[in-house]
Order: sequence, then C-alpha cells, then structure tokens
Amino acid sequence: MSLIGKSPERPDAFDKVTGGKAFPVNVKVPGMLHAKLLRSPYPHARILSIDTSAAEKLAGVKAVLVPSEVPKRKFTPVYFVPANAGSMVQDMLIMSDTVRFAGQPVAAVAATSLRIAEQAIELIEVEYEELPTVFDPEEAMQPGAPQLHDHATNNVAVNPVMGFGDLDKGFAEADHIFEGVYSSHRVHTCYMEPRVCIVDCDRQGNFTVHSSTQHLFGLREKLAFALEIPESKVRVIKSPYIGGGFGGKLDMGYIEPIAALLSRKTGRPVRIEQTRHEDFITTARHPIKVYLKTGVKKDGTFTARHAKSILDTGAHATHGAEVINVHGVFGLLMTYRCPNSKWEGYTVYTNNMIGGGYRGYGSPQACFAAESQIDEICEQLQLDPIEFRRKNAWHAGEPHPMVQGLTLDSYAFDECLQSGAERFGWSKRKKADSGKGTKKRGMGFACQPLWVSGCIGFPDIYEHSGAIIKLNPDGTADLATATMDIGSGQITTLCQIAAAEIGLPMEAVHMVQNSDTTTVPVDAPTHASRATYSSGNAVQAAARTVRERLLMVAGIMLDISPDQLSVVDGKILVKGAPKRSLSVAEVVTRAESPFVQHGANGPAPTTLEEKGTIIGVSSLAPKANPSPVSVEFVEVEVDTETGVVQVLRVVYAHDLGKLIHRNGAEGQVEGGFQQGMGYALMENLQFDPVSGSCLAADFLDYKMPTAVEMPRDIQSIFIESNEPSGPFGAKSLSEPCITVPAPAIANAIYNAIGVRIRELPITPEKILAALGKL
Amino acid sequence: MKTIELLINGATHEVSIEADETLLQVLRNRLDLTGTKKGCDSGGCGCCSVQVDGKVVYSCMMYAAGAAGKAITTIEGLGSGGTALDPLQQAFIEAGAVQCGYCTCGMIMNASELLATTKNPSEDQIRHAIAGNLCRCTGYTKIVDAIKLAATRTAG
Repeated sequence: MSLIGKSPERPDAFDKVTGGKAFPVNVKVPGMLHAKLLRSPYPHARILSIDTSAAEKLAGVKAVLVPSEVPKRKFTPVYFVPANAGSMVQDMLIMSDTVRFAGQPVAAVAATSLRIAEQAIELIEVEYEELPTVFDPEEAMQPGAPQLHDHATNNVAVNPVMGFGDLDKGFAEADHIFEGVYSSHRVHTCYMEPRVCIVDCDRQGNFTVHSSTQHLFGLREKLAFALEIPESKVRVIKSPYIGGGFGGKLDMGYIEPIAALLSRKTGRPVRIEQTRHEDFITTARHPIKVYLKTGVKKDGTFTARHAKSILDTGAHATHGAEVINVHGVFGLLMTYRCPNSKWEGYTVYTNNMIGGGYRGYGSPQACFAAESQIDEICEQLQLDPIEFRRKNAWHAGEPHPMVQGLTLDSYAFDECLQSGAERFGWSKRKKADSGKGTKKRGMGFACQPLWVSGCIGFPDIYEHSGAIIKLNPDGTADLATATMDIGSGQITTLCQIAAAEIGLPMEAVHMVQNSDTTTVPVDAPTHASRATYSSGNAVQAAARTVRERLLMVAGIMLDISPDQLSVVDGKILVKGAPKRSLSVAEVVTRAESPFVQHGANGPAPTTLEEKGTIIGVSSLAPKANPSPVSVEFVEVEVDTETGVVQVLRVVYAHDLGKLIHRNGAEGQVEGGFQQGMGYALMENLQFDPVSGSCLAADFLDYKMPTAVEMPRDIQSIFIESNEPSGPFGAKSLSEPCITVPAPAIANAIYNAIGVRIRELPITPEKILAALGKL
Repeated sequence: MKTIELLINGATHEVSIEADETLLQVLRNRLDLTGTKKGCDSGGCGCCSVQVDGKVVYSCMMYAAGAAGKAITTIEGLGSGGTALDPLQQAFIEAGAVQCGYCTCGMIMNASELLATTKNPSEDQIRHAIAGNLCRCTGYTKIVDAIKLAATRTAG
C-alpha cells in the first residue's frame, strides 16, 4: 500500500525524454507503401464518374481505390460498442459515392513514396453533381431541408427523450422559472501525434495493423466488420505509446479500412499518416445548443427542469448517437435531484464534418448550460451558489440516480465544495461588477456533480478489462494488458497497482511492449474516465493470483503455511521470524527450476507442486460505476478595453476515491484545465459558411492555450472517499477536469463585469459587444 | 536527388535528398532520428524543434539543404550517452513533465537553448520561451517546473 498515492517515476519517462521511440508514427515495415486520400471539395454531392487512368499510369503507383470497390456493409466506427449496437446508427461506408461533407475521401492511391501518392491523387478526375447543403442543425430539422440520409426524417439521426415526474406540476409549484439558451461550438482534441496506421495483408487475407488508437480490440472488431471478415483475421498490435487521444482516437477512421483494402490489392503493407488539416476534419467535439428551463422554489429547491438539446453530428451519426445520451443523462437530467424532469435530445445530420469523441463526451456542453443557469438563478434570487448546489445535490449512500441496483457508495460532493471554497478564498468574492478601473477581477465556480468511472449501466457499451502478470526469476514482473496509455498514465498506474498488490518495488514491474489482440485479454477503450478504475481492478485481480501462487511456493520452500507469509518490497516475510525471509527472485527461480535445482547447498530436488511459471490472469467487469465529483473555482481578470480574459488562478477539488499517482493526477487536472480554458475562451474550429470547408489548416489557424496564456497557479485537492469497488479504493478522474472550466470561467466573467455570455467561446469580441463597446 | 553532408550531434552524415526535403523529413525518414516529431508540418506546434548552430528551429520549416555545414543537435544528441542524461531530461522525468510524451523532445530542445543563453530564467521567460511548443496533456505546469529545476541545477 505504501506505493499508492506516491509519485514513483513513470516507467516510460526515460525513453520519452531521450527520443520516444514507441509511437505508432515511428513504425516502419519492410516493403511499405504510402497512401494518400483524395478528398471531396464539395460538402454535398453525388459522384458521377471517377477517372483514375492517369494516376494509375504514374510510375510508382501500385494501386488506386474507388468507392465502387469497397464492401457495402454499413457500420458505426465507434470503438466501445458492438458494430451492430441498436443504440447506434450504422450509416457509414468505407467510401461512398455520395459525399456529405467537404473533405470526405472519394479515392485513394498507394505508391512507393508519399510524394508519388500525392502527385497521383492530383491526376484523378472526379465528376460531381453538387447537391443542396445545410450546415445549421435547426435548419436541417425543418421540412424541405436537404435530406442527408434516407433513414433519417428531417435529418434527425436519433431522438432520445427521457424524464420522470410531472413537468407541468413541477413548473406550477415553482416560485420562479428561468429560461436560457446556451450554445457551444466545435473544438478539436488536438492530440499532438497525428492519426496514422500501417496495415499489412498477407496472401491468406490476414491483416496485421498498427494504428494510433485508444482501443486495441475496438479496432479489430470494427475493421473486421467493415471488411466483412472474421475478427480472427485481424491482428492489431498495441503501440506502447499514443501521442494523445482525449477521445479523438476513439473510432476507426477512414484510413484503417482504406489502407487494408489497398494492402489487399497490392500484397504490401500500406501506411497512411494524416496531415494536421486532415486531423482537424476527422474528429471534434459536437456543437450542442441547449434550451434550458428550470423551476425553483424561493429557497432554491428545484421543482422542475426541462431541457432540449440540438446536437450537430455532421455527415454521419457515429459518436453523436451516444454523446447525446451522455450529455442528457450525466450533464442535465441526473446531475442534481429534481423530482420533475424531462430532456429531449436531437442528434441532427448536417453537411458539416463528422463529430467525434472528446473527453467529457457531451458533458462540457451540458455543464456550461446548467452551471451557468444556476448562477443566474442565484444572482437573481440572491441565493448563496454553494448552498444552492448543496441543497439540490445527491448524498453518499443514496441509490445511484442512473444505474438501477447501484448506490453512491462513495460520494464526497460536500467535501469538494467546502475544501475548494476554503482553499480558494471564496468568502472574499465581491458583488458582480464591483471592481474599479478598466481591468476587473471576478471569481466563479462550477461543479460536475455526477460522473462515471466506466460504463456499467450503459446497455450497449463494453466494460471489461483483463491483465496477465508473469513473474521472472530475477524477481521482476511483466504486466500485459490491452489498455492503451494515451498520455493518461496507465503504464504508470497499472504497474503501480500490480507492484502494490503483489508486494514488489515499483521498478520491478514492467509493462509489456507490443502486446497484440492475439495475446492479451480484451479491454474496453481508454475512455469514459475508466482505465485506472476498470483496468486497475483487472490488474489488481491478476496480481492477487500472482501473490497467492508466490506464497504457496514460498510456503513449500520454507515448510510453513502461506498464511504466515507476506510479500513486502520484493521479500517474502515470515510472521515473527524475519530472518527466515526469502526474496521473490529465489521463489520464482525455484518455481522455474528443472527437476533438480543446483544451489549453494548442492543439488536439491524440486516438487511438482512448486513447478510452473508464477502467473496471474484476469478478465472481468467491475461491479459498479462509482461517481467521481468535482468542483472548480477560478479567478479571472477581464480587460474591459480589449475584452481579453486572463485566468489568474484555479483551485480544483475532486473526489477520486483514492489517489494512485499524485503527480499523474495533478497532470490530468492541469492538462484538463488547458483544454477547458481553450474551449471557454479561444478555441474554435471554423468553417467557410458557403463551401463548408474547414478553415483550420494548422495551429496557426486553430488557437489553443500556450504556456503564456495558462494560469500560473493551478491547485488540485484530491478528496479520498474510498470507493469499495475500486482498486485500493480508487474511482476516476479524467473527464470532470475538462467539464467544469468553461462554466467556472463564464461565472467568474459575470462576477467581474456583470455580463452573462451564453455562447461559447467567450471571445474578446463577445465581451466588448456585451459591454456595448462594439 | 542531390547529396549533402549534415553534421548531426557531432557526426557527419552523407545523405541523398530531394531538393525540397525539409530537415524534419531527412532526420526522420532518411536517418531514423525519430526523436524529432512531426505534429503539424507547418511551424505551429514545436514538436519538431531541433537546434541549428545553437538556435532552436522548427525542422519542418527548414530545408535540409539549408542546414548543410551547420551544427545540428537533436534530442538524440543531448546527454552523454547510455543512462547519463542532460539535466533537462532528468528534470523532466523528476518533475513529471512527461505524459503522452509526443511534445517532450521538442520542448526539451527548446528549453535547452533557453538554459544555454539565460542563467536562472524567470517563470515569464520560461513560459515565453516555450510558447511556440504546444502540449495538450500537461497544461505546461510541470514542464515549467522541470525547466526551473534544471535551471537551478545548471546555474549552481
């Protein structure tokens, strides 16, 4: 246990500071071809003809692929659900002869060099028939709007409606009713490593795949489904490192199946690496417009809440079919208690780029709406915003509001509010717009009062993990899992959990490099804040088996019952007889010995019982879906002459059950704030309103916070409520870190200048306009 | 194709290149020096930062031919080999400044120029020095901590 909560050195850090070899972008395979996609300049069009003859004649071109050659089975590319999941929409083909967004691939070329592939796609002649376009989801829902898919009347891909209680009665009981419209925009996860893949098809049709993915087994399943082949024909190699994901690598792209088909055509490995511009149009957080109406008593008790959310899913439903539900349930319906609630979600097709997964998965959009409106209510009714939230919150021990049969075993919302407010100095907050001078300061906060540590309770979402741990004769352990470390630290935390459970020093546990789908148990993706909790549980279970087996062999060696033994820091200790201790290395060497072991005391026979590799294997789903909660306080300074907002300091309090790796947890909070602040103030993936093409080619066009814009002072408070179902009491951390910054900043801006902005991002232009200066 | 000589990390490499190949492409694709990463290929992220004659450049924005005859330092040239690290590399490990690690090498190459030219830089100087290097994991806090730590050690 002594390792848990400390900050041992990350096992991958040395390699990463000296060159970082093990990224998928570095993989080279002998004989590899390079492919390039030709993308449509039109956002909505029918392909009438494609002439590839000139491209095929170019020296070095080995294959060209066009839509007529791809399998006709439609799929959802989302990794964490079965390919035929009923809650998702199977509306994609690898390539289609109908274009629905600017940038959709319409042909591909594999050549002996990237340069030749780039030249070749320029030689392909495509004749398009342009179709009418629609870019605004509310316009797309109107009768007469261009229809994108035959199956979706008025372009609505899915339309979940949920609720409970009696809404009319609830609003009738309210002393006050508040209504507001809160809208958000499209932002990119900005993983730094581009999406890249190499697919190699052998002559028997077996595919070996390297890819920058957040989910090893999801890629296996989706690729097999799209290619209409058995899953065992696809082997996906685990990349030890992934250069960031944040949800942006949570679905199969166009590149993997296209590379697969080009490899099958040529018999050679095919590599595709996206440019930054291609990455920008591959995945993004969905814009969602939230119409939120809330009834409250004079004292601030919720009586009724109604929300309608319009999500722009772009050309295909993909993640949009699930994001809308997470947004509604964990962002609006279940965050606080309200007896009469109704929520309607609309996932709407447009001719915009396809939305994707992004850390928070619908919650940032909802949290911005809900936490902004709560502050508006408190301001108008002169209520204390902390007390307001406390009054309407859940409490530990209550039934889980969403997952039947579960309870909120650990839930420390009050402690987050209290400790955060104290550390921040919330009591010093002044009335709105009370500052003097042109630069005005303000304080604000926001909460994520219910979140997840995985996906138990979601019917269509995979949620199990596995691990293999094997001890070596030198006393070290090899840990193999399918869990992807996308920068989120699982190489570290899983090694730490294994070391702590077995009783080894941290540096004795090694994460196996280059596992693949044929060698390790299935794991759900690194997403939904689940990896340390769910994969951690699996690793702990495998480690427990290892420890038991280790003690059994040691017991035979020492002629003592295993219950008299313990493992501490690589040593087997005997209760009451410390001098009789053995090292783990001695025990494993014994277990791995031939029938006669030659030691210092001469040859000694070994028994059958002792023999065999000391190994632990697990595959299991966690029993619960415990709820982390978080509260974030920020102080901002608004320049009323320029409209520029600077965040001065941040205090973030989070109930994570039990801290595993302090430094890593702080990194999640600090990195989450960067993404959340970018979302709140500056990031915006913009598109030409006529052509529908993405205006961001690179990071000169797309502004994310640099070290200069970031606040100097970000403090993390970790509340340890000890979750009984988690590894060492842990639950999860990642996503609330990114959910709360935008509303906290919006609330602080209101406190600074007395102006409420309900549309993200809160740019200087919007601030000046709201102040009447533009 | 033409042949040029590049002086990289103290060793001379003779490479045949196309005239328009960038230094980044030559380092990664022809010399397998994969510590230098491509993040955007347009001078906007800093992942490909290397030093040329002691000055940080985005290697995606420099033609390889233009680097001939100059002293190029990449992440592989920092430290003294084996497990002996440059103080910045050591500090990045200790401060926990590494998460996914994709920006790390460029970040270190940039900070290395700062520490070579500025003893005990202020936090503002550090933050402005790395403003051309994007990181999406860390929020920069621990990267700034690491550079401060290395600065303290090298100044003393």
